[in-house]
Amino acid sequence: MIYSAFRGELFKFVRRPAVWVLVILLLALAILLGYAITYLFDTFGSSSSSQGLPPGTTITDFKVALYPENFVKDTFTTWSVLGGVFALIMGVLVQGSEYGWGTMKTLYTQRAGRLTMLFGKIAALAVLVLVMVAALFAVDAASSTVIALIDGKTIAFPGADVIVQAVIAGFLIYGFWAAFGFALATVFRQSAMAIGLGLAYALVVELLIFSLLRGFGGKVVQQIEQWFPIANTNYLAQSFGEIKIKGISAGAAPFANATHAVLLLLLYVAVFVAISAWLSRRRDITS
Amino acid sequence: MAVLDSPTRAIDAARRPPPVGVGGEKVVETHGLTKRYGKAIIAVDGLDLSVYRGEVYGFLGPNGAGKTTTLRMLLGLIGPTAGSARVMGAAPGSSASLVKVGAIVETPAFYPYLSGYDNLRLLATYCGVARGRVDATLAEVDLTPRAHHKFSTYSLGMKQRLGIAAALLKEPELLILDEPTNGLDPQGMADVRNLIIELGKGERTVLISSHLLGEVELMCTRVGVIRKGKIVAEGTVDQLRGAATLTVRGTPEETARAILVGEVGADKVKAMGDATFSLVVDLQRTAQINRHLVEAGVAVSELHADERSLEDVFMELTGTEGGL
Repeated sequence: MIYSAFRGELFKFVRRPAVWVLVILLLALAILLGYAITYLFDTFGSSSSSQGLPPGTTITDFKVALYPENFVKDTFTTWSVLGGVFALIMGVLVQGSEYGWGTMKTLYTQRAGRLTMLFGKIAALAVLVLVMVAALFAVDAASSTVIALIDGKTIAFPGADVIVQAVIAGFLIYGFWAAFGFALATVFRQSAMAIGLGLAYALVVELLIFSLLRGFGGKVVQQIEQWFPIANTNYLAQSFGEIKIKGISAGAAPFANATHAVLLLLLYVAVFVAISAWLSRRRDITS
Repeated sequence: MAVLDSPTRAIDAARRPPPVGVGGEKVVETHGLTKRYGKAIIAVDGLDLSVYRGEVYGFLGPNGAGKTTTLRMLLGLIGPTAGSARVMGAAPGSSASLVKVGAIVETPAFYPYLSGYDNLRLLATYCGVARGRVDATLAEVDLTPRAHHKFSTYSLGMKQRLGIAAALLKEPELLILDEPTNGLDPQGMADVRNLIIELGKGERTVLISSHLLGEVELMCTRVGVIRKGKIVAEGTVDQLRGAATLTVRGTPEETARAILVGEVGADKVKAMGDATFSLVVDLQRTAQINRHLVEAGVAVSELHADERSLEDVFMELTGTEGGL
């Protein structure tokens, strides 16, 4: 019966305009922000744009980030958090809209039990996230190819193993975000609050507060931060390496390794699924 | 021969449909079913309810009496605070129960971006029903012409009809319908009423909640009246209405009394004063009683039947006035 629930959810995703809008917007932004605007900036940027760059580099040197050999690293650099927000919204909408429309009672009065419906929904959400991640990498690969062709550069992609690992890592990162959104929507039984609090947590707690505290606490703050989920999405993204401009790496090495990040993200996903399952099973459906 | 026959008889008995109506198989059974919200609010208070196979059972009560809460508990949407319930022989909300139950609870809820057809197709996927049923149920509720329009464009009446179609999709043995004619125009209400009467024929059981007395009176074979979470009366509509009375006013008063006592017995004649009497009597005897009074020289100045409507009974039982 989980398979029936799973098929039903996929049926809804395919026909739901909001799903298409989110995916298309993510991919359009990936092309536009990630490649088109960056390429124009790196190509036609004024001399003042080169201020603050590493010594011996110009803004045009940064175009190397847009070429196929760096498309995996570039995708992670640009989209691990920004794309995560899209995945969060997706997770919220998949569950929160059911409360908004009152369709939870319709779902729960069909044949399958509550947990069956929930796990069917989560399985379908996982497929949707995987499609999002795969499409994002595909679009970035295609964009980087176009740019390499325009600049007359050699087209050299990372190895297939790296690409597969990247898709899996991206799936875990976006899976975390989606599970976070799903759990928030289950807790608050609505979409608006879940999206608002999800974004507030990501932007304020993990990004703003930790970056401010790092200025004071340094390593102590990083040791605390390594147990927080968004920091671990960054560790996992950074584990694919930094883009080097003329041999110079701009960022620091991740504080924790990929294994730490994977295990912690899996733990967070499991906790979010468990919370959603527990609440879905216990709570009254009153609307 | 008897020994050889007995296994065959046993198989025949097993195949034979169970008896329908009161005394038959209980498809809904609750014992002390209670739902509290906090300490102050008791939505359903120790409800004992039995609905038998083949009945169209009307669950009647004013707004806030606990009808919807009870139905939600029977569907497993909300859990009881105390007491127990069995629906189709299984725990409410379990797969074993839900597979045999079709339901509408309050306003039917569907996906606004899907058409009526796709909404039903989706439900058919969830409950493992062949897609062919979708067309059949849409036709049954007369929604075929708008089947491929989005649910969000439907009128309230169309949404209600789609809800009924969804409830029928599984060809359920038990239909639980919460205010199924809400939002329908008079023609729509009549159509749904007739549909429910049709659906209630045979072995299918219908448990319908309503505060529309006329609706219940027309559709239901048995009625339970709920007030403040408790069943305050239960029976057929006729049983609830009780015996009719006949009011007679005639002079001379003593002659009239003698004739009436002779007709129905002293215990069924009640003097109301001013030469008026109230009789508990089969109303079909009205003409005969009138003739006897006239033949005895009684001048009959008033003669009318007093039949309590279900509304009178409802008001009396629930302590509500109007607003229904």
